[in-house]
Amino acid sequence: MKGNKKQVWGLISPTLALMIAIGVIPVIYIIYLSVFRYSVFARTGMTYIGFDNYRNLMFDSEFLSSLRLGLSFVFFCCIIEIPLGLLIANLLTYEFKGKGIFRTIMALPLAMAPVSIGSMWVLLTNPDVGPLPYFLGKVGVEYNIGVNATQAFATTVFMDVWHWTPFVILTFMAGLASLPKDPYEASLVDGANRWQTFRYITLPLLRPVILTTLFIRIMDTFRIFDEVWMLTSGGPGTATRFVSIHLVREVLRSMNYGYSSAMSLFLLYLTIVICWLLLTFISAAQEES
Amino acid sequence: MKKLVVLLMIMGILLLSSVAFAQVANPDWWKKAAEPYQGVVIRGVSESTPPSKTIAEIAAPAFEELTGIKVELETTSWDEMYNKEIQDMQAGAGIYDFVYIEQDAAASYLEQNWLIDLTPLVDNADLTAPDFDLPDFTSFIDSFKDEEGKLYGIPFEAFLKTYIYRTDLFNDPEIQAAFKEEYGYDLAVPTTWEQYTDIAKFFTEYGKEKGIEIYGHVAQAKTHPCLAYELCETIWPTWGVYNWGVNLENMRTSVENGGTLNSDTAKEALAWYVDMLQYAPPGVRTYTWDEAAAVFGTGIIAQGFLYMENLGWLANDPDRSVVIGKIAVDLPPTKPGVMEAAEAGEGYIGYYDGGAWGIPHSSKNKEAAWLFIQWCTRKEWQPEFAELATTVVRQSAFEDPIIDELNEKMGDYYTLMQEKGYLFAGCPPLPMQTPLNELYLQWISRAVAGEISPEECLDNLAEKADQLMEELGY
Repeated sequence: MKGNKKQVWGLISPTLALMIAIGVIPVIYIIYLSVFRYSVFARTGMTYIGFDNYRNLMFDSEFLSSLRLGLSFVFFCCIIEIPLGLLIANLLTYEFKGKGIFRTIMALPLAMAPVSIGSMWVLLTNPDVGPLPYFLGKVGVEYNIGVNATQAFATTVFMDVWHWTPFVILTFMAGLASLPKDPYEASLVDGANRWQTFRYITLPLLRPVILTTLFIRIMDTFRIFDEVWMLTSGGPGTATRFVSIHLVREVLRSMNYGYSSAMSLFLLYLTIVICWLLLTFISAAQEES
Repeated sequence: MKKLVVLLMIMGILLLSSVAFAQVANPDWWKKAAEPYQGVVIRGVSESTPPSKTIAEIAAPAFEELTGIKVELETTSWDEMYNKEIQDMQAGAGIYDFVYIEQDAAASYLEQNWLIDLTPLVDNADLTAPDFDLPDFTSFIDSFKDEEGKLYGIPFEAFLKTYIYRTDLFNDPEIQAAFKEEYGYDLAVPTTWEQYTDIAKFFTEYGKEKGIEIYGHVAQAKTHPCLAYELCETIWPTWGVYNWGVNLENMRTSVENGGTLNSDTAKEALAWYVDMLQYAPPGVRTYTWDEAAAVFGTGIIAQGFLYMENLGWLANDPDRSVVIGKIAVDLPPTKPGVMEAAEAGEGYIGYYDGGAWGIPHSSKNKEAAWLFIQWCTRKEWQPEFAELATTVVRQSAFEDPIIDELNEKMGDYYTLMQEKGYLFAGCPPLPMQTPLNELYLQWISRAVAGEISPEECLDNLAEKADQLMEELGY
């Protein structure tokens, strides 16, 4: 038994060492940096300031505003992607002509790099030559994401929905395929209609899958960067300056390492809290089902 | 057949590079100087601009062939270049042996002591080509010296950001008559901002009336660092607000602290800038410096301000530009008294930018890097380099017939640069210019988006900038 334990440790130690090197040590370093006033361009070098960076964070209107925007983005993306994904996944359980082609085309955005998605949307929405402003203009909608803040925000949401709803559909399709057949047969015997079957059988059984997908999408949308960076860089003004964009600007442009470390840790904390809440729901859902 | 075509193409490229480097004044000296470093690999990083790409694609292979020193030069985006080289120099990792020093960043790099003093290398006869001729460099080289005169960078690109216009439109009799009828004076290169505004308004409205796509103005107004640079480098100086509105004596920006960032003039200029966007194409708020130049190349802009590093392709590349032979450059319009101040050396009217090669302290191959830096800036190659990359950093290059020929194609740009270059200035010595630019962008972009008024923007910005300066120890 002891020999086995040694063998197990021997086998997992390289992975463990790698995880410590690339996961734990950087986090410890960020915790260390977060208690200093440290900018690359400061004459003062690194100055220990305790928890001042965290305190400043709570009164930083730009940060709080970008956090609000980031959370709004998460909310709008998830509120559209989950029901839409569920609806399409359900429709795809039926047989129809061209289903295979539809499924292939639908999954294509998933194969594209986020930077390419951003670039593609830059061309689509370009106010001078883009097809979106052109066709919307034909129906009387003046569309310019360089000028209109609401349109810019809505476009980033729509871009994310376009990119990631296929992922939601695929996970729901996998979930639907794994559901037991007995309850459906029983519902047929009882005379349940399609809506009742969906509402009282499919939805409760699919709840763990829905929550897990929601969990993944919340994490992903909260840390959105590449696509929005390419499309709007956070503009116009601060309309799409989501918290991830704000953080990257603070690190890479301002090179304010101390403050941005505190910001990163706060966001990590927030993410953990959201994850914990969702995991609690998922566990409860799994127990119920 | 396909293989034959590829082979012929490769032979062609090799032939072209050998022609480009046929003029090596003293090949034996290069071979001898590089002997101890044969087989060494030197790494550099630069922005993906025509000069850097020319160096990576033509100068580096030829240098390697002659000296046996291998050069790996990364040409990447402007912000990526900054991130890479700053992180390398700050950590002392020694990834790069030579780095691009943009004139704007020179003060920051010197303040942080990231670069080596090149003076001892210049004085070393074994390592410095006998015909290197340092005094032949234009005064732009002074941007890379410290207060004691020590040299930290050798310039390889320099250009102005100035006024550019369409000669075919300005000389069109029908347009001239329509303009005179509308404004009561002749259409000509504007010398005041009022004239510039009239011309911008005229062309945009003329385009609408005639059903042709033409605009009287272009800007780089995206939420991107370029927006803050445009105000600091191009607009404010011509209104008499210099040095980014910073009082360089105490490094403060607000009027109450002796700065000019929230002065009435700065506010008026910003309000004007925002208002002028109506005369630019609808997508102007999505343009960076690249898009502004690209749009000018499509022929829909009558006048504007561009970085002249784009002039080479605008004037010569038919694949990218429809305005070949139809453009000229001139001095920017100014507010009363600004031109006189610049001529007296008390101000400036625009931006003189460029970059130099420097060697970080952390470089592992300083001597080999120094040889390559000299190779790129060799006197005898400069006219050809100017032809390929539209940049001149040596006085002697201005005298070359190649430059005369280019000058004609490029609307007398080189004459303007040589004769009036002294009216332009680079970024003031602001060691914290990168975070300062980010802060400026954060506030100015809000004014451009209409979230806040120009007055509110600059009052807040000046307050925040003073705070930032204080936090950074200035």
